[in-house]
Amino acid sequence: MTDAPAGLTVVNGSVSPARKRITTILIHAALLGASILMLYPLLWMLAASFRPENEIFTSASIIPSSWSIDSYIRGWNGLRTSFGVFFTNSFIISILSVCGNVLACSMAAFAFARLQFRGRNFWFAMMLMTLMLPYQVTLIPQYVLFRQLGWVNTFLPLVVPKFLAADGFFIFLMVQFFRGLPKELDEAAQMDGCSPWRIYWKIVMPLSLPVLATAAIFTFIWTWDDFFGPLIYLSEMRQYTVMLGLRTFTDSTGTSDYGGLFAMSVLSLVPIFLFFLFFQRLLIEGIATTGMKR
Amino acid sequence: MAVQTVSPADLSPPAKQTSLWSRIWHNDAPGYLFLLPWLVGFLGLTIGPMVTSLYLSFTDFDLLTAPEWVGANNYIRMLTNDPKFWTSMRVTMFFVIFSVPLKLAFALAVAMLLNRGIRGLPLYRALFYLPSLLGASVAIAILWRQIFAGDGLVNKFLAMFGIIGPSWISNPNYSLWTLIVLSIWQFGSPMIIFLAGLRQIPQDMYEAASLDGASKWRQFVKITLPLLTPVVFFNAIIQTIEAFKSFTPAFIISGGTGNPINSTLFYTLYLYQEAFGFFRMGYASALAWVLLALVGVFTAFSFLTSKYWVHYDD
Amino acid sequence: MTIRVDRRKFLMGSTALAAAGAMGVMPAWAQSEDLRLIFWGGQARADRTNKVTDLFEQAKGGSVQSEFLAWNDYWPKLATQTAGGNAPDVIQMDYRYIVEYAKRNAIAPLDEFVGGALQLADFDQDQLEGGKVDGKLYGISLGANSVAMLMNVTAFEEAGIEPPTNDWTYDDIMTMGEAFKAANVRGGMKLIADGSYNEPMLNNWLRQKGKELYTADGKLAFEEADMVEWFKLWQTMRDAGVCVAPDEQALDTGPLESTMLVSGKAALLPANSNQLVAFQAIMQDKVDMVGHPRIAPGAGGGHYRKPSMFFSVAASSANKERAAEFLNFFISDPEAAKILDVERGIPCLPSTRDVVAPILDEQNLIALNFVSNLGDLLGPLPPPPPAAAGEIDLSLLRVIGQEVGFGARTPEDGAAYFVSEATAILERAA
Repeated sequence: MTDAPAGLTVVNGSVSPARKRITTILIHAALLGASILMLYPLLWMLAASFRPENEIFTSASIIPSSWSIDSYIRGWNGLRTSFGVFFTNSFIISILSVCGNVLACSMAAFAFARLQFRGRNFWFAMMLMTLMLPYQVTLIPQYVLFRQLGWVNTFLPLVVPKFLAADGFFIFLMVQFFRGLPKELDEAAQMDGCSPWRIYWKIVMPLSLPVLATAAIFTFIWTWDDFFGPLIYLSEMRQYTVMLGLRTFTDSTGTSDYGGLFAMSVLSLVPIFLFFLFFQRLLIEGIATTGMKR
Repeated sequence: MAVQTVSPADLSPPAKQTSLWSRIWHNDAPGYLFLLPWLVGFLGLTIGPMVTSLYLSFTDFDLLTAPEWVGANNYIRMLTNDPKFWTSMRVTMFFVIFSVPLKLAFALAVAMLLNRGIRGLPLYRALFYLPSLLGASVAIAILWRQIFAGDGLVNKFLAMFGIIGPSWISNPNYSLWTLIVLSIWQFGSPMIIFLAGLRQIPQDMYEAASLDGASKWRQFVKITLPLLTPVVFFNAIIQTIEAFKSFTPAFIISGGTGNPINSTLFYTLYLYQEAFGFFRMGYASALAWVLLALVGVFTAFSFLTSKYWVHYDD
Repeated sequence: MTIRVDRRKFLMGSTALAAAGAMGVMPAWAQSEDLRLIFWGGQARADRTNKVTDLFEQAKGGSVQSEFLAWNDYWPKLATQTAGGNAPDVIQMDYRYIVEYAKRNAIAPLDEFVGGALQLADFDQDQLEGGKVDGKLYGISLGANSVAMLMNVTAFEEAGIEPPTNDWTYDDIMTMGEAFKAANVRGGMKLIADGSYNEPMLNNWLRQKGKELYTADGKLAFEEADMVEWFKLWQTMRDAGVCVAPDEQALDTGPLESTMLVSGKAALLPANSNQLVAFQAIMQDKVDMVGHPRIAPGAGGGHYRKPSMFFSVAASSANKERAAEFLNFFISDPEAAKILDVERGIPCLPSTRDVVAPILDEQNLIALNFVSNLGDLLGPLPPPPPAAAGEIDLSLLRVIGQEVGFGARTPEDGAAYFVSEATAILERAA
């Protein structure tokens, strides 16, 4: 199922306009076909959210026998706290995380990529090491630590690490992109007497919009989708995130509300999809379009 | 003028200058100032729990009572007397070897296709990212069963050609492949990173090459690939680390069992069972540090070889 | 109307302070009376539980902060909280984990409160016993249930076959299964799910032979030969197409929607009596239940009334007395009983059962009748499972059962391997 567009990667020679048009049509056909594969789960979930509960697992057709928005109403208000609260919480945590990650990780990445200091390679190796240990074994020590800090049952364990660049993924990502910026830029700026801070803020950051947008998108989506952190650190329902709320719909041992689960799952996708749509425009800006490279 | 930005490859000392400003510039201070947030986080929040888990790997720790020092026992048992360790290692290796290259190739191919300035580009990009948005939703488990079960969509499709397929997801010979397909299907993140990388390649280089009569394929090999190597390198390292640590897909699809017959018992799934299912956090910590050592060696090796094929602009 | 009467009656029996609390006049020291509660379950259970905690707050003052999670998320969180010294006061416990938590002193013995805060004089004896570890009471059963065979009545009607009754036997599975196959309903639905690695079903079968899975001192309580017989029994059914094929059975990874009953691949599924409601909610066909098959006509004693779940009190709790009061309220208050219904199983106090019986819906009534009328199917309570039972179930019985099913091991080989490995795990855990 996944090979469809891959077959089209053989790049065309672009000789005649007619051939070019055929290629374009073929590409669109392949992309559309692949899109259906990508869309199918969403359509299924959408259908499930409108179905009667006892039809979700027993009906083979993707079209519900009857359409009902009961699941949405029940799901939104079904828990003691409305899903509106969960959405607000998820927003607060995700937006703060985006700010923290973009700022702190870009600073660290700037240091690693464009400044020289003793111990740089050592710290870089340490940073990579933090990526390699499965979180399952640091969970309890970390919980104990956050509890001593008095942060359990607050958003702090979920947000503060972001402002301290705790996710090495983004540092590494930005390092790779910062190193791709022409060094003549800093040299010139530095001759003009710019401080490292100004170079970071006025040159490197503006030129790195694509990677910063990438980091913002990933941070938002991954924080939104993160489940384990909120599970461990939040206990009161009014603090729950959307993902945590979704998990309470099903229990493998007893009665579950699948309709509510799928209805709220559909809704939970809306903000991250919109965030993606908005920020992906920044992906195509930056160096290539400003033509500053070289 | 010798003041400049530096790459790890370029370790020659900067030229001496006399003004106060340039002494500070050459000093370590700016680097550490920029690194400060990360350093505070690393030393304050990250390293402590990591060292604790290293200590726990030399203990018996049942989560509920105090850990008990047992020396290297956990490591010895793992290597000499634990068939499940080897099973999970084999499953994970197989997953890494097949999912990472396929996912990367697929992500790069789609990113190239989407970088051509065709109409509807933002829409396609969003659609192709959709599977990654779903993350680890419960719906994925249900959906994958619908697609890869004996009477699932794949077999309905094959039946049109008279082929009777097995129940892919629950047959020990194929179940791991359904997880590899899932991993490839969620190719959105490396695709976006590739796209961002492609965007950093100046368009005028292609224009110049076109004027010289270079074919598209030649342009790809001579311009795109070399300039994209830092991003390829990043994606390869990250995806490999992530694949080694991969937990959630196997957890939701097999309900945490590694079902059927441990054919999807990923390393971290086994680790999780040991830690929270069977109350052996000490042993689980040892498993984690063995994984770290393994991934660390792989990463170090990649960095050593990277100077021969990764092209940085510095 | 009755609710109001019960409430007044209850309030008259309680202290003035508690009555003040009920009217919303919180005493200043109420903070120290606060309790934290954690349980697993779905939303329906949470709704009921939260209403009861409200009721308790009104009646006794203080507050009860409750938190609920799905089964899979519950255990890592509880373990993390406990390890972090932050365990909630009242903890919902499973039959499987209570030994683990009790032996490690993570939950407190409740014996000192019995007769005081905990009034258990009328409490069902077997359910009381079920909450004991090493002779001490660590958990109060919140309801009894039993293993049962859930059946898709509609499918039986379509096949034109009489559904089984409590007298059916393993031989009947074969004859009924052949007939079911011949009827070919819904594209080859099988009679029964593959139960060869269903631990409760194996246990039920062993008990009918006068054996058990585990002895009281945590050893295997059956022979290798029993295991060979068990695996062969299922192999015969598999070969005859009476039970589902191994690759279909492996689709069942735990959640209800993945079971053979919901996916329509089998008409019979071994499950628990209190799960009928949950199954019926996601199925269009009518579901009913009978007992597990007998090994021979007249054989019985395989079933037992299992505590479906407990409430335990954390060893670290500063409010144990208060927690015990809450437990007592939860199991005995008539108004709480009406709210809780039989969602956690059949209540263990006769007075509570009396309150609940008239208000049950159809499925719950079926479950109540089933558990109350087991007759000669009912046997004594088995000793609590050893701490390693969960590991043996998940990483041994399930895996070997599948290996035998897929033909990677013979029944003989599988049984021998199971016994040697299980013995090793039990010894290591002891």
